[in-house]
Amino acid sequence: MGRVKIAKKSTFIDMTAMSDVTVLLLTFFMLTSTFLQKEPTTVITPPSVSTEKVQETNFVQVLVSPEGKIWLTMNNDTSTVWSNEKMRGAVLEKVASIYNETHKSKPVNFTPEQVATFSKLGSFGVPLAQMGEFLNLANEPEGMTKMDKWLEGEDGNPNHITGIPIQWNSNPDNPTEFQMWIKAMRQTENENLAQAIKDGTGVAIKADQNTSFDIIHMVMDNLQTIKQNKFTFLTALKAGE
Amino acid sequence: MAEVQEKSGGDGKKGAQKKMHIRVDFTPMVDMNMLLITFFMLCTTMIKSQTLTIALPSNEKVENQENMSQASADDAVTIIVDAKRKPGTAEVDSVNGNVVNEVYYYFGKPGGDQGMFGAGGEIIAANNNLQKSEFLTDEVNATGDKSARGIRQIIQQRNKEVLAEIAKIKEKYQNGGFGSLETKEEREKAQELYDQAASEIRKNENLKKPVVIIKSTPQASFGSLVEILDEMQINSISKYQIDNMTRVDSVMLLEYQKSHPGN
Repeated sequence: MGRVKIAKKSTFIDMTAMSDVTVLLLTFFMLTSTFLQKEPTTVITPPSVSTEKVQETNFVQVLVSPEGKIWLTMNNDTSTVWSNEKMRGAVLEKVASIYNETHKSKPVNFTPEQVATFSKLGSFGVPLAQMGEFLNLANEPEGMTKMDKWLEGEDGNPNHITGIPIQWNSNPDNPTEFQMWIKAMRQTENENLAQAIKDGTGVAIKADQNTSFDIIHMVMDNLQTIKQNKFTFLTALKAGE
Repeated sequence: MAEVQEKSGGDGKKGAQKKMHIRVDFTPMVDMNMLLITFFMLCTTMIKSQTLTIALPSNEKVENQENMSQASADDAVTIIVDAKRKPGTAEVDSVNGNVVNEVYYYFGKPGGDQGMFGAGGEIIAANNNLQKSEFLTDEVNATGDKSARGIRQIIQQRNKEVLAEIAKIKEKYQNGGFGSLETKEEREKAQELYDQAASEIRKNENLKKPVVIIKSTPQASFGSLVEILDEMQINSISKYQIDNMTRVDSVMLLEYQKSHPGN
């Protein structure tokens, strides 16, 4: 029986074209992506019909957890004079001096290394009295992970308080630490950031849609007390209206 | 494409180089690229957040009462947002992890002209003019017409004059009354003119328009506050403010819930 001879064909598929396409796609995604910032708590912002876009530069974001804890994230326009690092360092020094006015017996001071560590932080939120200890973690092995855990309140140490201290306060001369931070940001020499905050476009409150009004009210009242009467809420786009 | 052919220089002579095929296999490269693409696709946020601008009045006490702008009782609409409670308790109820928003409203003064309290300070439940409504989106019928429902319908009824004017200029805009809508540039120009006209209508003192006072119980959710602020924007309300709950508001709310159990 004669077998049918099958011609030997090469199974080699030319992948060059495919690789071209994937590289193009990859380039597109690399250039357009803005990474999700790691935040100490995950919130779902409420839907709204407002189509105003969020500011990308010159803003401070107030992240409010449903339990009423507060973290801040600062960003400015990265000009040659004011990089984000320089601005954050300046704000930390400013807030320390405001804090020391009302806490003369227990002043806080930061070493240049601590300021340098702080200037690289995305979001932060620990009481100023513990800020030094928090920033020193960066020198330890796996320091960044430890700092993240602290911010999330999951490092297992009950002495480590997460969130910037805030309470009902109607006395602008005795501000809460949250008010001190906002004041410090308004007073930096970086005029663009200070102006954006004064205009109200620079303060964005990000909270979960299920957060109770009580907590939001306290944050709003804190801002009002230091004459920060204008601010914005972060919302998600509501479809179909 | 991924092959390199080397042509031999000589013609079959001794020592001539062999014809060589160099093929580069790109499959691993494609694999790796695909992985990277997947990573970037998952880590990217394409949708930017939106913001809602809030301007609150100053916290400072106004010394001179005459300077305070008083809303006439005729125009005032007070909206109270609250969260649904578990039956019989003050605890917030939730469905699928989400708070259920509730909205109440009353026109004019709390308790009507007689007020909620009697001469001796006792509560007169019969005077309660608080009513309950719902957050509902527009209903679209078979012909595509929209009709407002819930709290939106109530706000729209109070703001009829302004909305009628806005509807007029909207039609004008769509018919090209503010300039042609052909190109993108022209459209933007027309849009700008339209926005200007709309804002003038909202500010027009000759039109009757309500003053909405938004109040919120401590238990109400942040989402419901944003939702009611949205309604202000949707219904072109120019005068609204966020205010604190007063005692009489709480009393009315409790009375309402007492007289409408299981609601």
